[in-house]
Amino acid sequence: MTTQLTPATGPASRVAGADRPVFGGSSLLTQIRVLTGRSLRAMVTDPGIVLFGLIQPVVILFVLTQVFSKMGMPPHFPGGVSYLDYVLPAVLVDNAAQSAMQSGVGLVEDQKNGMVARLRSLPVHPGALLAARSLVGLVRSAVQVLVIMVLAMTALGYSPHGGMAELALSAGLTLFISFSLGWAFIAAGAWLRRAEPLQNLALIVIFPLMFASSAYVPVEDLPAWLRVVASVNPLTYAIDATRALALDVPGLDHAIPALAICTVIAVVGMVAALRGFRRPL
Amino acid sequence: MSGLVTPPVTRPGPAPGSGSGDLMIEADNVTKSFGSVHALDSVSVAAPRGTVLGLLGHNGAGKTTLVNILTTALPLTSGRACVAGFDVADKPVEIRRRIGLTGQFASVDGQLSGRDNIVLIARLLGAGRRAAAARADELLELFALTEVADRRASGYSGGLRRRLDLAVSLVGAPEVLFLDEPTTGLDPTSRLNLWEIVEGLVRQGTTVLLTTQYLEEADRLADTITVLSEGRVVAAGTAAELKATIGRRTVTLTLETGEDLGRAGAALRVAGFAAVNGEDEARTVVVPIDATREIADVIRTLDQAGVEASELTFGEPSLDDVYLALADRSAARTPA
Repeated sequence: MTTQLTPATGPASRVAGADRPVFGGSSLLTQIRVLTGRSLRAMVTDPGIVLFGLIQPVVILFVLTQVFSKMGMPPHFPGGVSYLDYVLPAVLVDNAAQSAMQSGVGLVEDQKNGMVARLRSLPVHPGALLAARSLVGLVRSAVQVLVIMVLAMTALGYSPHGGMAELALSAGLTLFISFSLGWAFIAAGAWLRRAEPLQNLALIVIFPLMFASSAYVPVEDLPAWLRVVASVNPLTYAIDATRALALDVPGLDHAIPALAICTVIAVVGMVAALRGFRRPL
Repeated sequence: MSGLVTPPVTRPGPAPGSGSGDLMIEADNVTKSFGSVHALDSVSVAAPRGTVLGLLGHNGAGKTTLVNILTTALPLTSGRACVAGFDVADKPVEIRRRIGLTGQFASVDGQLSGRDNIVLIARLLGAGRRAAAARADELLELFALTEVADRRASGYSGGLRRRLDLAVSLVGAPEVLFLDEPTTGLDPTSRLNLWEIVEGLVRQGTTVLLTTQYLEEADRLADTITVLSEGRVVAAGTAAELKATIGRRTVTLTLETGEDLGRAGAALRVAGFAAVNGEDEARTVVVPIDATREIADVIRTLDQAGVEASELTFGEPSLDDVYLALADRSAARTPA
C-alpha cells in the first residue's frame, strides 16, 4: 500500500464509508410509526390541507342537509325522524369515502415526489408506507366525524335518539368503513400511480353508489331497478347500520353484512395494495 | 464549455494493481429485459472499495436501469450482481443497509423541513430520537444547509434540494453511494460544489457509482469509466485510456473561403492530421489532436500553406465525440 486513506476527523467522520451500518435497523412497527408521524406532521403544518380537510365535511353536511330537507318526505320515511337525523349517517359515510380517497392520493403523491424511490433504497418494509397512509386516513376521518357531529348538533339541531354509546358505536362503524375504503383507494393508488385517474375512479364509484343506496331516501322509495342495485350495494348496509345505531330505528341487523363486507374490502385492498406497490417503479 | 480546462485532480486512491480484491460493486453479465426490449445486454462492471465508477451514456442507454438493479429496486433477468459483497437477488435488505441513492430527481419530502427530512430517514434506519437529531445537525452543517434547515424543502432552490437529497442519502454512512446524474440541471457553482463533496467522500473510503451524460464530470470524478449505449458496454477504461483511444481533443478552424478550406485541409492531412470538415462544411475544418502542444503544429502548418483562419477554437472531447468515435470504430470493424 503506497497510499493511505486520510484519517477522518470532525463531523464528517461518520458520513462516509463506515465498515458496518451506523444504525441498527428498525422494526416494522417503528417504520409505520415514523412514517405515520411524518404524514401527520405534514398534515397539521400545511394550512391548505388542514383547511381543506375541515371544509370538506362541512360542505358535505350543509349541502346535503339544506338541499334535501326542503323536499317532501317520501312515503316510506321512518316516522318521528327529521330529515337531518335521517341523512346524517349518510353524510358521515359519504365523508368517509371522500377521506378514503385522500389516502390513495397521498400514496400517489409519495410516488410522484420520489419518497417511494427513496424508501425502496432503504431497509424499509414496503407495507410500512401503506400502513402509515391508512392510519393517517383514519386520523383524518376521526377528526372529520367529530367536526360533522358537533356542527350538526350545535348548528343544525341534530338530535340522535339512540344515546351517546350508540352514537359512538355508529361513529366507530363509520371509521371502519373509512378504513376499509381507504385500503381500496390505497390499492388503486398503488396500481394507477396517478392522481387523476384515481379521482375519476372515486367519482364514478362513490357518487352513484351513494345515490343507489339508502343514503338519501329509504330504499323502498327508489325506482324498482335502483332498489335492486341498492339491495346489493354495500353502502346500503353500512348506512343502515350506522343509522340504526344513531337513531334507534330497525336495521341493526345490517351491521353484520356491513362489517363483513368492509372486512373483505380491507383485506383484499391490503393484498392488492402490497402487490401493486411492490411492482418496480 | 469550450475553453474551460479542468485542472487534473490528484486523489489518493488505491493505486492500480494494488490488488485489494475488495470489490464493492460487481455486475457480471447482467441482462434486463422488459418484454422483448433489452434494456441491458450482458453488462459487466466492477468497482473496488474507495473508487468511483463512472457510467457514461445518453438518455436511454441503460444507466438508470443498472442503478435500479444494483440498488435492489429492480430484479435482473439474468446474470449476477453484488453490492458490498451481497448478492442483489437474495440479500436485498443487507444491501439497502449499506447503500445511499441520489436519483435523477431529488427525493425529498417537500412538506417537511430539511432537518425533518434527515431525521425521518435516520429514524427509519433505526436511530433513536436523539441520535437522529445529532445526525441531522452533522449533515446539515457539512452540506451548509444549517441556515435553511427549518424551512420547508418545497421552497428550496434546485441546488439546495440536490444538496439535501445527497445529505439524506448519506444518513446511514453508506459504504456504497449511487449517484444517478447528480448534477443534471445544476448551475456550474453547485456542480463544482457537489463534485468536491463526492471527492471528500471517496477520500474517506466510500465507493461511488456515478452516472452522467457529461464526459467532463466522469473525467474529473471517475477512476474507471464504462460507456453504455443501447444497453451494451461499448467501451471501458480509465478516462485517459478512453480519451487516448476514442474521444480526442479537437481544434476547429473557421476559414474565410472554400478555397482556403481546401488548401488548409490538404496541408493538414499532408502534415499527418486527420482533418475533417466541420458542421459548417463550406467553412470549418476539425482537427483531432493528442496533446495541446499540437495546436502550435496546426497553426504552423496553416502558416506554411499561407492560409489565415478567422477563428480557432479548442474543444475537449464531448460524449458525442466518444459516441461518434465508437461508432466509427465499430463501422470500420464490420465491413458494410
